[in-house]
Amino acid sequence: MGTRGTESTSVKAEPIGDVAASVLIDAGAVLASSLDPTTTMVQVARLTVPRIADLCVIDLRDEDGSIRDVAVVATQERIARDLEKLRESYPLNPDGQHPVARVIASGEPMLLSEMTDALLSSFAQGSKHAEFMIKHDYRSAAVAPLRARNRTLGALSLLRLGDGVRYGKEDMELACELARRAALAIDNARLFSDLRRAEQRLEAVLVNLAEAITVVDEGGHTIFANQAAADLLNVNSPEDLMGAPPGTIMPRFLVFDEQGRELDLEHMPGRRLFAGEQPEPLLVRNVVRASGEERWIIVRASPVTDPETGQMLYAVNVFENITAVKRVQLAESFMAGASRVLASSLDYNETLRRVARLTVPTMASWCAVDLLNEQGEIERVAVHHPDPAMMELAERLNRDYRLSPDEPAGVPEVIRTGEARVYTDIPPDALAQYARDNKHLELLSAIGATAVILVPMIGAAGTIGAITLVSSGEDRRLSHDDLPLAERLARRAGTAVENARLYTERTRIAHTLQKALLPESLPEIPGVEVAARYCAAGELNDVGGDFYDVFEQGENRYWMLVIGDVCGKGPRAAGVTALARHTLRAAAMSEQSPAEMLATLHRALRRQPVGADLCTVCLVAMDRSARHTRLTVALAGHPPPLLLSADGEASLIGEHGTLLGVLDPIEVGLTRVELQPGDTLLLYTDGLPDAGGAGVQLGERAMIEMCRKAPRASLKGMLAHIEREAVEYAEGSLRDDLALLGIRVHIDELRR
Amino acid sequence: MSYGDNITAVEHVGEHLQIEAHSEPDRVVLELHGELDLLGAPSLEEAIEGVEAGTPSIIVLDLQDLQFVDSAGLRVILSAHERSLNGDWSFALTRGTEQVQRLFTIAGVDDHLRIIDSPDELFG
Repeated sequence: MGTRGTESTSVKAEPIGDVAASVLIDAGAVLASSLDPTTTMVQVARLTVPRIADLCVIDLRDEDGSIRDVAVVATQERIARDLEKLRESYPLNPDGQHPVARVIASGEPMLLSEMTDALLSSFAQGSKHAEFMIKHDYRSAAVAPLRARNRTLGALSLLRLGDGVRYGKEDMELACELARRAALAIDNARLFSDLRRAEQRLEAVLVNLAEAITVVDEGGHTIFANQAAADLLNVNSPEDLMGAPPGTIMPRFLVFDEQGRELDLEHMPGRRLFAGEQPEPLLVRNVVRASGEERWIIVRASPVTDPETGQMLYAVNVFENITAVKRVQLAESFMAGASRVLASSLDYNETLRRVARLTVPTMASWCAVDLLNEQGEIERVAVHHPDPAMMELAERLNRDYRLSPDEPAGVPEVIRTGEARVYTDIPPDALAQYARDNKHLELLSAIGATAVILVPMIGAAGTIGAITLVSSGEDRRLSHDDLPLAERLARRAGTAVENARLYTERTRIAHTLQKALLPESLPEIPGVEVAARYCAAGELNDVGGDFYDVFEQGENRYWMLVIGDVCGKGPRAAGVTALARHTLRAAAMSEQSPAEMLATLHRALRRQPVGADLCTVCLVAMDRSARHTRLTVALAGHPPPLLLSADGEASLIGEHGTLLGVLDPIEVGLTRVELQPGDTLLLYTDGLPDAGGAGVQLGERAMIEMCRKAPRASLKGMLAHIEREAVEYAEGSLRDDLALLGIRVHIDELRR
Repeated sequence: MSYGDNITAVEHVGEHLQIEAHSEPDRVVLELHGELDLLGAPSLEEAIEGVEAGTPSIIVLDLQDLQFVDSAGLRVILSAHERSLNGDWSFALTRGTEQVQRLFTIAGVDDHLRIIDSPDELFG
């Protein structure tokens, strides 16, 4: 500042335009540097002294309207300090006549080219102020308003002291331009500080938000993260996340979409925003590599763009952890799938294999199902792993190291105790202790289990088996959270196995009982071929009410052919069926006629204690000799038999009679007919004409046609063909049992 | 149908059998739709017994829309018929489809059952 004289001289020598330009250029640099507004104003003031002023004062208006100097720069430091002290003691009256107050009030610049002592005294803030101005020889002043966005923030005053240059219009213009730029800088700084405060408030909100949030720039740097994000991304603090080099966080996880496809960084919504896409929220399954912990996360991203350039600056990522919700949803859909599988078949070995497949990879990497068999041995009925090599490994383990029921740990223990076991950590020494020998240990180690859940399958009579779930490698690690679902699965599977076993048992009993109700073998009748078929409707677990029988009546060369239908199914129908069959046999032994036999059966049924046990019967008495085959067809509520003659004709034979057991009196329809060589008589139950699905029955006419066209090479083959056609017509499931009984007169036998 | 406005219950029994009960002070018409087989029979039995509990003087089974009946269905009909003979109410059936009538003929029951042409026949 000591070289003031020289500089003043040079100012005078320089054309005003160049000085103005150099001041404005320097001001540009100063104002662009983002210092706080006060420092910036001091620097602006310094630019003007001594180049265009001997004294420069910048005043700002505070929010309460008072005027405060923020920069005072003079050619002599002492003058500046003295003025600052003076201003502190005598602040400018905002409503007074001081040019600064007037400029701030009006927003208009003021050029005081030549100031007299009287003028100075007129706006002085007291005698000391007047003395100071006169003493330092204030002579010329240019006061420009600091205006931005239509508000006057303060004033910039340029002063010349003593004899020298007087300010003119051009100087005023320069002062105004400089003031305008300074005002803009102050305004921006204030806006920035407002923004900063808003940001701080926002940050306080974000930091405390439960949802994990990160803000990432295009280079992949995390510039903001909250604690929830740090927790979710498995780092200690948001700072760790912000300090992490780009691309180092994601590899800590395995990330899959809902369909199980592995995803990389470029699939993430934040990255796709930078790629110019508009990504939908993404649901990801995320497995922490270090721990095997699995989470379900919805990732949303929105862009932060530069308001001026429109360029995307940041991606704001919001991570919503929906693991709990998703787990419940998955468990429900898993159980729905498991229930479907378990209900699909009564072959429980196949069903359990499908259950094992269902658990992989949704629940576990491996699944095995062991059942306790009738001998009390543990039998592995299912094991599943997607990798065939691993399947082979599992099979070798099962073959070479078969589980023994008295082993202290693992499946045998769970089957013995009925208690589930969860191992979330498999230390090598525990495995070594469990292994029977080195080879066993090698195989077990190859499985690479990270966690194991063993759950008992419990039936009515106790534990019937166990399901083993294993997580291995980098797959999601099983945890205690998986136990409830595993237990539900095992319970359901246990019930299914038990039901299947009971069903199998019932089916076996039903078969045995049914066989007892039907003749073990058909008798040989000279010259006549005899054949029968029996097909139970629907599932094979109930005893049907259809029956047939063929027997000889006493010694008088009569043969009796019986077919009948007791209404209903199950044990009661079986009882009535047995009654019907044996009553007819007994009646035959006492030489009764067909009508008498049926009346006897009717009376026997009427004597039954409860309800109406109705029964329909077709009884054919065959009078058989070398010369003829004469039939008496007796019908009691039963459909008439079908005569298929050797020449290809078909007709129903018989007269309708009343069904037995309900209505009194009964009428038996009797018809006599003689069979010719090659003729076939077919007795059937209503399962044949009624064959069909809902709303569609084969019907009598179609049945006759079907039987007429059936290949006749052998009677046995013919009946098999008819049965097959009926079952096919019913699309595999007959609504009622179907019994067929046929006789055919041999052609050559009669010619003899 | 003239009694179409007083449906008191529609019972759905699987896909097979639907029973609509039309009640009036002294008579009940049970209108059967679909198929009366082993699956539907217990529902019809229950329905008839339920109606009997209300001691109507006449119960009519309307079979005009019944597509199929088998021996299990016949057993229920005959049970009701037998109870009506022992009780103080009448039991009648409307003529069914060909298959239904055919079964009644084969079973030899058409002479025993009271078969009418329309549910209104008895009530003028």
